[in-house]
Amino acid sequence: MKKDMKEIRKVENDIYELLKTVMDPEIELDIINLGLVYNILYDGENKVRIEMTLSTPACPLGDAITDNVKNTIKKKYPDFDVEVDVVFDPPWDASMISEEGRKKLGM
Amino acid sequence: MAKNLHTDNAPAISTVKPHFLFAAIGLLVLGILMVLSSSRFLGIYYDHRLLAVTHTAVLGWLMMLIFGSLYQLIPVIFDTALYSEKLAKFTFWLTAGSIIFLVYTFWIGDYTDLLPYAATSMYLSLFFFIFNIMMSYKNARIKNFKSLFILAAVFWLLMTETEGLLTALNFKYNFYTASHLMHMHNHVVMGLVGFFVMMIFGVGTTLIPMFLISHRLNEKLLTYSFVFLNAGLTGLMLTKYIFENRYLIFFFWLVIIVGIIYYFRYIYDSYKHRMKKTLDVGMKYTMLSLVFISIPVLISLWLIILPETGLKSYGEIIMLLFGMSMIFGFFTTIALGQTYKTLPFIIWLEKYQKLVGKYHTPLPRELYNERVAGMQFYLYMLFLLLSFIGLILQSILIIQIGTILFLLVAMLYNYNVWLMFFHNSDKFINERDKEILKNNKKNSKY
Repeated sequence: MKKDMKEIRKVENDIYELLKTVMDPEIELDIINLGLVYNILYDGENKVRIEMTLSTPACPLGDAITDNVKNTIKKKYPDFDVEVDVVFDPPWDASMISEEGRKKLGM
Repeated sequence: MAKNLHTDNAPAISTVKPHFLFAAIGLLVLGILMVLSSSRFLGIYYDHRLLAVTHTAVLGWLMMLIFGSLYQLIPVIFDTALYSEKLAKFTFWLTAGSIIFLVYTFWIGDYTDLLPYAATSMYLSLFFFIFNIMMSYKNARIKNFKSLFILAAVFWLLMTETEGLLTALNFKYNFYTASHLMHMHNHVVMGLVGFFVMMIFGVGTTLIPMFLISHRLNEKLLTYSFVFLNAGLTGLMLTKYIFENRYLIFFFWLVIIVGIIYYFRYIYDSYKHRMKKTLDVGMKYTMLSLVFISIPVLISLWLIILPETGLKSYGEIIMLLFGMSMIFGFFTTIALGQTYKTLPFIIWLEKYQKLVGKYHTPLPRELYNERVAGMQFYLYMLFLLLSFIGLILQSILIIQIGTILFLLVAMLYNYNVWLMFFHNSDKFINERDKEILKNNKKNSKY
C-alpha cells in the first residue's frame, strides 16, 4: 500500500540520516556533508532513487561509494529496490560542502 | 543505475598487484646494492656496479611501480579498458626476468657475452608494454593533453630503449663512430626526462588534483608544459645527434625547464586551491618531490656551463649529483608517496568493495601502519640530505651512513607493502565489530 506524503518524507529523512554514515574513503567525510547527494526520492512503496555525484568523474572509488549507498539503505530496508543514479550535472565543487563538513575538513 | 564510472574498466587485481610487489622487493634489493657499492659513489659514474644500482632503481623499482600504477589508471586517464590484460601479465614476467638478468650483467660487468642478450630481452619486454599502451590509447575516449603526456612518455621510452640496446650491442660489435659516453648520456636524458618526467607529469595531472581535491584548474598550463617539454627534448636530441653545439644544447635545456615551470605552476595552483588542507604522508612526499625537481634542473644548467667555470674536474661528482637528485630527489620521493595513495585503495577495493555498508569497514589508510610511514618519511629526508652532503664533501663515511638509512627506508616501506598485501578483511571486521560492541556496552553503562 502506498504511503502518504508525511510517511514518504519520514523515510526520505531517515535515508538522508543513514547516508551520513557513507564515507568518501579518500576525503574521509560522509557523502551528505560533502554535498554529493543531490536528491533522495522514495515512491511510497518499495523504490528509492538516489541522485548523486562524485567529487571527480575520474574517481576510481565510484563503484565502492555507490555500492556503499545501496548496502547501507538495504541494511535497514531490505525489501527496497535501491537505484543510484550518478550524475555530473551540475558538477560538484567545494561550495557544496556543508558548514559541518568544512569544520571537519579544517577548511 | 550508476553510470560513467571508471571502475567498470578497471583491470583485474592480479594484473596490477605483482608489479607493486616486484617494485617493493626491487627497492629492498636497491638498498642492499647501494650499501654494498657505497665505496664506489665517489668514483666514475659509469662504473659497472653503479650501473647495476642505477638500473635496479629505474627499472626494478620505479618502472615496475609505474607499470602497475598505469595499468590501474588507464581507465581513469583514457576512459577505456587496458587493451590486453593477458599481454600485461606476460609483459610482467618477461620484464621481471629481464631486469634481474640485466642488473646481474652490470653487477658482474660482463659487457660482451651477456649484456647484448640482457638488453635484447629488456627491449622486447618494454616493446610489449609500449604496444599495450598505444593500443589502449587507440580506444581512448579521452584524448587530451593529460593522455598525450602518457603517449609521449612511451614514445621516449621506445627511443631510450633503442639507444640502450644499440649501446649494449656496440660493446660486442663496435659499430658506433661517436663515443660510448655520448650515447649513454642520450640514453639517460631520454630515459629520465623523456620517459620518467613525462610519465610522472602525465599521471600526476590526474592524480594530484584528485587527491588534493582541487577543481577548475587552468588546463592551458598543461598544454604549454607538454609543448615546451617535448619541443625542448626533441631539439636537444637532434642537436646532440647531428651537430654537437653547446649553445643550442643550453637553449633546448632552457626550453625543457620552461616546460617544467609551467607544470609546476599547474600543480601549485592545484595545491593553493586544494580542499583537503591537511596533507597525509603520501601527499607530503608528492609535494616535496615537486619542489626537489628544482635541484636536478639547477645542476643540469651547471653541468652545461661547467667548462666555463674552471670546475671541470668536478664533472664526475656533478653528474652523480644530477643522477641522484633526479632518481632519488624527484622520482623515488614521488613513487614512495604515491604508493601510499594508490596501493591502499587498490587493496581496499579488492577486499572491501562488496562489504561496504554491510559491515564496519576500515578506511584505506588503515590498511598500513601510518607511524611506520611517517618514520620512513623522515628517514628518507635524512638519507637525501646525507647523500648530497656526502657527495659534495666527497666523504665516503657520510655516503655509507646515507645508504644504510636508505636500506632502512626500503625495509619500512616493504613492511607496509606486505602489511597491505596480507591484510585479512575477515579478521579486521571481526575485531572492529568486537570493538564497537565493547564501546557500546561501555557507553550504555554511563
